[in-house]
Amino acid sequence: MLLQNKNFFQIFSIPEAYDLDPVLLAENYRELQAQVHPDRFANASEAEKLQAVKSTSVLNDAYETLRSPQGRAAHLLQLRDVDVSKVSQSDLSPALLFEQIQLREELEDIPRDEKSLNKLDHMRKQIEEKVRDCQKLFVKNSNTGQLLRAKSNYYEMQYLFKLLSDMDAIEEDLLGY
Amino acid sequence: MALLQISEPGGITTQTERKRAVGIDLGTTNSLVAARCGDSVETLPDSQGRHLLPSVVRYLPEGQPALTGYQALDGLLTDPLNTIVSVKRLLGKNGDEISDNSSFLTGRFVVDQTNDALVITTVAGDKQPLEVSADILRVLSERAESYLSGPLDGVVITVPAYFNDAQRQQTRDAARLAGLKVLRLLNEPTSAAVAYGLDSGDQGNVVVFDLGGGTFDVSILSLQKGVFQVLATGGDTNLGGDDFDDKLAQWILEQSGANSELDPGERNALLHLARQMKHDLSEKDPIDVSYADWSGSLDNEQYARITANLIDRTIKVCRRVLRDAKLSIAQINNIVLVGGATRMPVIRNQVQKLFQREPLVSIDPDKVVAIGAGIQADVLIGNKTADSFLLLDVNPLSLGIETMGELVEKIIPRNTTIPVARTQEFTTYKDGQTVMLIHVLQGERELVSDCRSLARFEVRGIPPMVAGAAKIRVTFQIDADGLLSVDAKELSTGTSTRIQVKPSYGLGSNEIENMLKESQENAQSDMKARALKESLIEAEQLLEALESAIAVDGDLLTDDEALKLSEAGAALKKALQTENSREIHRLTEKLNGASEGFAAKRMDVQIVDALRGESIDTMSQDGK
Ligand SMILES: Nc1ncnc2c1ncn2[C@@H]1O[C@H](COP(=O)(O)OP(=O)(O)O)[C@@H](O)[C@H]1O
Ligand SMILES: [Mg+2]
Repeated sequence: MLLQNKNFFQIFSIPEAYDLDPVLLAENYRELQAQVHPDRFANASEAEKLQAVKSTSVLNDAYETLRSPQGRAAHLLQLRDVDVSKVSQSDLSPALLFEQIQLREELEDIPRDEKSLNKLDHMRKQIEEKVRDCQKLFVKNSNTGQLLRAKSNYYEMQYLFKLLSDMDAIEEDLLGY
Repeated sequence: MALLQISEPGGITTQTERKRAVGIDLGTTNSLVAARCGDSVETLPDSQGRHLLPSVVRYLPEGQPALTGYQALDGLLTDPLNTIVSVKRLLGKNGDEISDNSSFLTGRFVVDQTNDALVITTVAGDKQPLEVSADILRVLSERAESYLSGPLDGVVITVPAYFNDAQRQQTRDAARLAGLKVLRLLNEPTSAAVAYGLDSGDQGNVVVFDLGGGTFDVSILSLQKGVFQVLATGGDTNLGGDDFDDKLAQWILEQSGANSELDPGERNALLHLARQMKHDLSEKDPIDVSYADWSGSLDNEQYARITANLIDRTIKVCRRVLRDAKLSIAQINNIVLVGGATRMPVIRNQVQKLFQREPLVSIDPDKVVAIGAGIQADVLIGNKTADSFLLLDVNPLSLGIETMGELVEKIIPRNTTIPVARTQEFTTYKDGQTVMLIHVLQGERELVSDCRSLARFEVRGIPPMVAGAAKIRVTFQIDADGLLSVDAKELSTGTSTRIQVKPSYGLGSNEIENMLKESQENAQSDMKARALKESLIEAEQLLEALESAIAVDGDLLTDDEALKLSEAGAALKKALQTENSREIHRLTEKLNGASEGFAAKRMDVQIVDALRGESIDTMSQDGK
């Protein structure tokens, strides 16, 4: 099956690069969905229905992966035979770990009341800045074949995104959702 | 926003080829059915011109058929124990989930201890909630069949986006029990958005705010070139217009100082009064009220205070969904109001205040969901050109599995576009372990006890090895109806065992058949005729679909495949004459199996075609 192509960029016929054109990706995704979605097969045979569910699932997964800044990085590494699911000590420099611990502590220190929403906002901006820097490094390192460094950039990105999502949760708590 | 161009010439097949497909809004309070009438899709009235069918069923003593809709309403006062309202609130729920919100249920119910299923005791015997839903569906399908003069080929049934797997499964089962072929379960807000539609050029983000009798849904969709993509959805399955009635009823009791010990009939009368007041407040401000020997008045400002807590809950859900969609209020282009309860000025004001714009109300909020479902049914059954529009929906609740410490690990987060499949590998934690228990849950909370249990199953026959050596790969698949199936594969030995798990509350085909039997007095001959008819339709549909597929893409088949298909096809055609439904069914399955490879190849071709234009563009860009 064509959608079994392990390279998600090829599935969507877009260049294999970290910086992608989100509009083109979305357009091609919709174009493909229009062909394979189960709604196109509601009245077809069971075999075709099943095929449609499977194809659409792959398509959705591929799209989600490429749309997510982390997912895309992991996928690019994977295509270069770097397995990000296995972390080793050498992937994480002491400096990186130290910085993450500091950021965590900074987050812990923010009091949990509504007045802190501004502080959270401020910290979020700071972290988003770090994410951008990290992404730039990732692009540079993966383009120049420095895959171990790129892998380390990936983990840093992952830490930062985790931090952002924890901040979301705290904010939701404060807002009473 | 412009209406969807649902009638472009050439897009529609002629009347004679047209298949009969309808959309059904199976509501908590009211249900409707919609079908294409000429150029537009409209809700169908009963013989007295009424479009809404109150979702009320009154069971009568043995032998007499149940009363449904308006005919059953009187029973609320005169025969409350046999008159069932708001049964949708009971669908897919177990004993625990029900006990805390039982005030709306006037019938008596018991929990079947063997399977924790809920049963309602009536003079006509015990009824499962889905049987009551099936009775409502039957009335609507009869209405549609008489309008369209013939049996229905398929239906689209709407469900609140927030419905969990159990609730969806039971809705599907109810339809099967009513003898309907479900083309798709469609989320109500998505359906409403479809009804409002869009011109192919239209783009933007739409909030659908649906406050019905018993459920509340908010969804945000992005509309782009004929694709409706749900960005986020949320809501509360225990919040609706009924709760406003309850609040008003309480208020009346407090104000009047009347005795608050009420029997079921009195209670219904009070709720009836409260509801009438609520409706009046949508037209008039203030209103006069009297209860027992007390009288007073009420205005919307005061009403807003009485119900502030409920209104706040709706607004909070809106904020949460906006957040999930990662959109700000300024990025919302339209608000669609759905559900009778959105007629309340207190709700409209708050919604308008929050989104800072006038909501769309040009389609009757009672009918909009059914109309969208009717449009979708018309497309799915194939009456309309395939490329007219596409709905990309999401799963409303996270799916997870139980891990150590009674915690839930999320596998598919909420608001993921469906269909979706995720795999997860598990390993043994004890030496020599041969059985592994997997517990699937749905919900957002971290503790197992706070989520809805969907399925619990054992993977057996794991070869005994040291802890951590055996590997089990589990695939969770959510289909386009939002329904889950789980597949487990044991990998360590190279030989893999595979099991299919259906969630525990789904009815087996046997149970459905038994219920069907019970529900039809002269079961035998009816059942046979029905089974034969079903198998014939199924077989003919497959043959037709395959023949047209071969006509287009026949060159994709190898000689061998073509031979196998034509043999299986010929065998099935021969069996069609036999009137043996079992054999027809068996051969249909066989032909179906034989066509799987072909289906996959066709899909590939379609994909390649779809992106051909873009691929060339991309390449030329690359070349620069
Ligand atoms: N004019 C009105 N003003 C206020 N509430 C109304 C009005 N008309 C209907 N409702 C309320 O709307 C609810 C039913 O809405 P509906 O969309 O039919 O519900 P459901 O989708 O649950 O079947 C009931 O609570 C009913 O009292
Ligand atoms: Mg409704």
